[in-house]
Amino acid sequence: MASDATQPRYTGEIETALLACAAGDKNALRRIYEAESPRMLGVAQRLLKRRALAEEAVQDAFVLIFRHAGRFDPERGAGLTWIYAILRNRSLSILRDEKRTETSDTPIAEETASEEDDPETVMAKLSDASALRACLEMLTPQRRGLVLLAFVQGLTHGEIAGRLKLPLGTVKSWIRRSLLSLKECLG
Amino acid sequence: MSPSRDDQLSPPERDALAGEYVLGLLDGAEYAAAEGRLDTDRDFAASVERWRRHFFALDATAMPVTPSAELWSGIESGIAGLAQPAARTAPTLPGAAGSSRFADWWSSLFIWRGAAFAGALATILLAVGLVGALDRAKRQPLMVAVLLTEGNAAAAVVNTFADGRVEMLPLQSIDVPAGKALEIWTLWDRAVGPRSVGLIDRARSTPLRLDNLPLGNGQLFEITLEPASGSPTGRPTGPIIAKGTTSQRL
Repeated sequence: MASDATQPRYTGEIETALLACAAGDKNALRRIYEAESPRMLGVAQRLLKRRALAEEAVQDAFVLIFRHAGRFDPERGAGLTWIYAILRNRSLSILRDEKRTETSDTPIAEETASEEDDPETVMAKLSDASALRACLEMLTPQRRGLVLLAFVQGLTHGEIAGRLKLPLGTVKSWIRRSLLSLKECLG
Repeated sequence: MSPSRDDQLSPPERDALAGEYVLGLLDGAEYAAAEGRLDTDRDFAASVERWRRHFFALDATAMPVTPSAELWSGIESGIAGLAQPAARTAPTLPGAAGSSRFADWWSSLFIWRGAAFAGALATILLAVGLVGALDRAKRQPLMVAVLLTEGNAAAAVVNTFADGRVEMLPLQSIDVPAGKALEIWTLWDRAVGPRSVGLIDRARSTPLRLDNLPLGNGQLFEITLEPASGSPTGRPTGPIIAKGTTSQRL
């Protein structure tokens, strides 16, 4: 197809390793694990707060990566975003599941997030070079805070509304509008 | 609100929906619809990928945490049976092939586990069948769980019987996208985690396989949307359709 020529094809180390995983090569999975597991655990821990749950999410994510590697298509996206999408999906289902079953003493969402995960702290850590940082800076701190709380801590609309004492409808429409501004800025 | 049947989203709507999906803000039904759209709407899929690429900059700011030594061994056991053993690529002597295949078979833990499990299952089925045959009178359920959707609508009921049978009866139809199935789980102990007790392609009455799993009052049952072959991890991975806990009949 003509349009495919304009699409980037991803051929880095992760993409190569994923293609090998699809052929059943466990060593390729191990290479991804060596390269990415500490950062993946950091991402899962930001979402899930508890170390044991974060490890569970990373373990499940690697099993899923290996099982589904055959579905990874380098024409459609980068290996890294594919892997982190699996990790985030898995972490969020553990997070929501944990909240829904209500058997734990403290719901995770109410556990205090480390200051490290505070929207403005995360903002300061964003690479100067990233387009996302430049575009988030165009939003007011409050509005970008909503987007960052959702992505970094995995909060739902309702939890963000509760935490910031804002009406639910306001949170929903502000996030939507922020996304549209971001989209315009990111191009 | 009824879900929008309109497949054509304007570009801003599409990008906002893709952004909300990547932020993890969509709930059960919206999430499942977005997952379905990923397979059918290339523009939506491309928008999702763009958001993921941009937001990855945020994941990159996470403080790295050194995994425990057990993490990799957990992954290895999770993928056991899927990985190609390295020895398979080594050339084998033609004469040895037959005997080594038998040796592989003979030493296959998978087969013996399967045989042991089938044996155990047959024993349970026989026992349940026997009790059932002897005691047809006890038709009334011992415990009942009504599974509610997020909007608190009753979606299904789980009945447990004195003879060990457990069944699930749907109370309303449930949308199951192509390539997906409904998986039923039970949770009696958070330390053990949820266990799969059934997989159905659409909402229909089904017996649940609790086998020798514990069953008690206040035990959680839930239905999640999973790939057609069932959850790939052995734990719920998709959105929860409905859930409820058992209560004793008076």
